Amino acid sequence: MSDKKKNPKKVGNKISFKAYMKRYWQLYALLALPLLYLLIFKYIPMIYMQIAFKKYSIVQSVWEMPLAKNHGFEYFIKAFQNRDFINALRNTLTLNLLDLIFGFPAPIIFALILNELAFKRFKRVVQTIAYMPHFLSWVIIYGLALQLFAPTTGLVNMVITKLGFETVPFLNEPGHWIATYISLGVWQNFGWNSIIYLAAIAGINPELYEAASVDGAGRFKKIWHITLTGIRPTIVVLLIMNLGNILGSGFDRPFAMQNNLVMNVAEVISTFVYKNGIKGLQFSLTTAVGFFQSVICLFFLLAANWISRKLGERGIW
Amino acid sequence: MRSSFSKKAMAVLLAAGMTLPMMAVNVSADELTDGKFAETKHITVEVYDRGNDGGSDPTNNKYTKYIQDQMLERYNVEVEFVAVPRWTEVEQINNLLAAGDAPDICVTYDYPTIQTYANMGGVLDLSSYVDDNKDILPNLWDWLGETNLYWDKDPESGTIWAIEAKLATSNRINTFVRKDWLDKLGLAEPTTKQEFEDMLIAFRDNAETLLGEDADKMVPYSVSYDVGWRAATLLESFIDPDISDKDFYIYGFDDRKFTEPGVKEGVRLLNKWYNDGLMWKDFALYGSGDTTEDDMMKAGYVGAFTHNWDYPYRNGEDSIQTNLQRMVGEDATYVVIDPFEDSKGTHTKFVPGPIDRKIFFPATNDEPLASMLYLDFISSPEVIEYLQIGDEGVTHNVLDDGAVEVIAATGDDIQNSGFNIDYTITCNGLKLVDEEQTLKSTAHSYAGIDPAQVEHANEVANTDLHVGKNVNVGTIEAEEGQGPALSEKKDVVFDNAVIAPSEEFDSVWDAGMEDYLSSGGQAIIDERTEKFEATFGDVDMLP
Repeated sequence: MSDKKKNPKKVGNKISFKAYMKRYWQLYALLALPLLYLLIFKYIPMIYMQIAFKKYSIVQSVWEMPLAKNHGFEYFIKAFQNRDFINALRNTLTLNLLDLIFGFPAPIIFALILNELAFKRFKRVVQTIAYMPHFLSWVIIYGLALQLFAPTTGLVNMVITKLGFETVPFLNEPGHWIATYISLGVWQNFGWNSIIYLAAIAGINPELYEAASVDGAGRFKKIWHITLTGIRPTIVVLLIMNLGNILGSGFDRPFAMQNNLVMNVAEVISTFVYKNGIKGLQFSLTTAVGFFQSVICLFFLLAANWISRKLGERGIW
Repeated sequence: MRSSFSKKAMAVLLAAGMTLPMMAVNVSADELTDGKFAETKHITVEVYDRGNDGGSDPTNNKYTKYIQDQMLERYNVEVEFVAVPRWTEVEQINNLLAAGDAPDICVTYDYPTIQTYANMGGVLDLSSYVDDNKDILPNLWDWLGETNLYWDKDPESGTIWAIEAKLATSNRINTFVRKDWLDKLGLAEPTTKQEFEDMLIAFRDNAETLLGEDADKMVPYSVSYDVGWRAATLLESFIDPDISDKDFYIYGFDDRKFTEPGVKEGVRLLNKWYNDGLMWKDFALYGSGDTTEDDMMKAGYVGAFTHNWDYPYRNGEDSIQTNLQRMVGEDATYVVIDPFEDSKGTHTKFVPGPIDRKIFFPATNDEPLASMLYLDFISSPEVIEYLQIGDEGVTHNVLDDGAVEVIAATGDDIQNSGFNIDYTITCNGLKLVDEEQTLKSTAHSYAGIDPAQVEHANEVANTDLHVGKNVNVGTIEAEEGQGPALSEKKDVVFDNAVIAPSEEFDSVWDAGMEDYLSSGGQAIIDERTEKFEATFGDVDMLP
């Protein structure tokens, strides 16, 4: 509050609320709409989290529904007794961890490479091509994957068999399916996700590079000591946000890519909730699952943020 | 995290927002003068959208206009159609019900969904509408009768949550084989499983002769991910043909007969065929509604398959057989065979009772009387006949012997479903006013297909029928909400068991079955046993 002293209408040590609002009301007016959005679409629906603790009924309001058994924890107990849920939980963690390990560094590396390219036009072409998969829906990507990777009719497998090798079960054997799932995810997103890193790199003072060159630093030294160091805060923020999503998952990607042969590794929490909640009408059970998922995600987010601050980085707040 | 949660919360919010007027609307025929409403009523009616190539808008075409005009004229009721995709109808109707947006007249093949909503108060009890209005619902009573109207009547409370549409024919599933391939290889039509297997092996071994340079695309026997349907007669041939009504019922929650005793051995045979290279390798990768397999049949790569009794003959100009003949040659046809003998040497085909879709009114229906009149209208013989065969010279010709021959229509006259069954919601299968004409016409009802072939298919589909009985023992609570999850589990087990290495078949099947049973399957069997015994006592066979 550096403007305190400039403000004549001081009451004690603080400016009066009225004077403050008079000066800044426009900023608050701008904020009103996003706040309203958050309130309506993010906070009010939270009222319905209590369905997790109640016996759901379609005709009663959420306040009137009777409490579930075991002090309301019936559905949490049920969820953890449900093998499919435990399975979905394990798969969600596995797939998201793999996504993090392979998917997180990819855009950083790509941004570094792009940044080193000398031909600007070539760089732009590569960049555009790399963005493109981001705009494809997963249904389309899976359609492409089937055309390419199906065991007998897929193009890639036809080439492989023509060359005299065994077909590779990209989509129909659990281990291979996971690899395909992760690679397609990386393929879809590395280009798009590199934008934020490229922006961060563009913000690095070019004089640093000149100074380093004068000091005799080579290309890799410069990447390591200037570029990577320069974008470190961005990396940390994105890492925290990714960790916050460790138990979350999009719906369309696993759902589009699932098939019956790999269901034991492909069923994740979001598809479990869809199948049992929306299709099977077990609203209380699946709200409990969603609630649990959100709590764990929140925990990871807070923990990652805390660790990052302990290590001297800026957190996300 | 946030978005997935809020999506779910929104769905639940919408569902909870459906706080409905629960008092039964007081319905009586008094509202009608000369059979008409004084003021115009408005109702919405579900219609399946099959998304066929070159089809018309299912909510707005020649036939909907006919229905709309007639309903307005007869009863002063405005009808609006709501399209629901055929292949995901259960999910869609669930979403509509949860959102309180379901049409006034809903149709689904999935009774448990109706039961679940009924338990939550989301469905109207039809018992009083059906019973108290007999005089103004003559066609409905004539056509469906007590059997179908009371099929789902609760034995204790007397509630009727849904009425069952009637199957005009009970034809279910047939096995088809490429006649021209048999001829080329000098084989006779197989009549036993062993002969069938030998035939598949012959197809496989003579792929070069049959397909030339496409030999590697050969699929001797094709199934889809839905093994329980697509190998149904084969699997059922392993069930004891004299199975007691009690056993058949208590193990019969799954309509693919997954838990019926004997089915495992059928899957073992499929597993053998799969490992011997007699089946389509990629079958499990393509989900419902995918046309890849149909395209393979049309292209002529598939030797044999099991499917709906008239599958390759359906869809007029776009039927599998017509396409096949265009691509491969005139002599390429699929003929029906009946090769799966059971333990008695017969070819038992388990068909359900004469029930088809289930029609129900969600609690959001404010016009139950107008809706009942719609059902009466859509059940009247001449309406059914018109919707099924359309106009003479446009969608059908009348032959010399009086039989009706369907001709492939185009443009606005096109029928999106065979005989427009999506509009004749109380009737599935050809039903003309004149019964004899119906019989004669069935064979002529497939544009571009030799009537003799259809007659043969019809005959085979009606050999050794085991017709399901209506076992009505009240609600089985363990079934509630289990349908979709268990049904998917069943497909997973079927598919994984078929592709397992032979020596692992038993462990894959047993582990899958164990998982299915412990995830709710056993509870259903137990409750069915208990309620069956409570209702019928010690008897094993029902009258």
